[in-house]
Amino acid sequence: MPKERRLASDILGLTVFLLLETAALLMLSNNNAMQKLWISRISHGFMAKTWGATQAVRGYFSLKGQNDSLALENERLREIVRDYKAAAKESDPSARPVLGNDGFKYIPATIIKSGRNSQHNYLILDKGSEDGVVENSGIITSKGVIGIVDAVSKHYSFAISFLNKELNISARIDSSGAVGPLAWDGLRTDEAVLREIPLQFRYNPGDTIYTSGYSAIFPPDIPLGVAGEAKVINGATNEIRVKLFQDHSALKYVTIIENTRIREIEDIEATEDKRKEDRK
Amino acid sequence: MRRTFTLTYLVMVVAQMIFTNYFHFSPLCMVTILPMMVLCIPTRINTVWAMVIAFATGLAVDFLAEGTLGLNALSIVPVAYARKWLIGIIFGTEPFEHKENLSTRKYGFARVSFAMIIVTTLFLAIYITADCAGTRPLWFIASKLGISLAASYLVSAPLVNLLSYDDRR
Repeated sequence: MPKERRLASDILGLTVFLLLETAALLMLSNNNAMQKLWISRISHGFMAKTWGATQAVRGYFSLKGQNDSLALENERLREIVRDYKAAAKESDPSARPVLGNDGFKYIPATIIKSGRNSQHNYLILDKGSEDGVVENSGIITSKGVIGIVDAVSKHYSFAISFLNKELNISARIDSSGAVGPLAWDGLRTDEAVLREIPLQFRYNPGDTIYTSGYSAIFPPDIPLGVAGEAKVINGATNEIRVKLFQDHSALKYVTIIENTRIREIEDIEATEDKRKEDRK
Repeated sequence: MRRTFTLTYLVMVVAQMIFTNYFHFSPLCMVTILPMMVLCIPTRINTVWAMVIAFATGLAVDFLAEGTLGLNALSIVPVAYARKWLIGIIFGTEPFEHKENLSTRKYGFARVSFAMIIVTTLFLAIYITADCAGTRPLWFIASKLGISLAASYLVSAPLVNLLSYDDRR
């Protein structure tokens, strides 16, 4: 039998089969209450499963949109929390940080490309100058520092990742208040090294490490990680291994922060430098 | 020869009606020879016509015996649909190429019995599931399937020779 004829015969057979079975099922359900209930239960179950599956597929493809809106919602909620914290600190002048809490502008962004395989890793974010991003803005999440914006185009930003051995973040040990530069160790994506901690400062493994707020890029008190083992360098300072909170290998949503008072800080620094030179 | 088959087939339809009406041994046991009858429909009749014949047979039994209307028809059509595929697997393409009918003399009693057991199982699985309509536990369905399969096979096995008329040539 030719292939086409066999196919036509198979289709005809299947059609007749379905027709006869449907006819039998209709007879069965129309003449027997019990079978009618059973058939309707099966058909409802089948429909529920089918619609459930299509809903699940549709839900999967809408995840990106939902994630984006959740990231925006998160940022809005964080802003409310920051406002509350700022209000609380306003009432306690001794707790006031180096930079005023209201001196930072927060822009939610998505990482669209990132390098993690070299010693000088980078990130590309989906926000650019049109969204208000400027160079030297910080990039953070609620779990740590992610990098610093290095170049900005109209719609995108290029950033130096924290997983770049040249990037140092000013960090503080919570218990002792000691401050030093924190940098990636170049070995693991979840570990960094806190250097230049004077020996007189005591610390315990497990102490939390925060941003110090001494740099003009990052606000204070962003949790970075926990202190691990330390070793003495040249008999003068401690070098502490830090286990980072942020898993840099699974990162998509971040927040760009811009210090809106950076110009003011730079001006005051320049004035002070000039005064020192004049004294000389 | 064709007239003999048709006549025998009709007699067996009547026999099935009698089985359905009078042979109630237990709720766990039913006797059916319909799957064997559909299996023995001559191979010159294609699947579509075999399904139509099976449907009409099932409907006749449903209508004239005290069955649930549509139940035998629902269960026997899949047997007719699977018949060609099943014969091809168990007996090869020979019955279709030579337009031969299933014959215990030619293909052996064991192979014909095996085919009969498969079609009867298919029929009973559908019949019992639809008849119970989700109201009976699995053990009941399984027990009824096993017991009915044994009873139906014991009744069908002697009758298969009546329909496979090659044996009488």
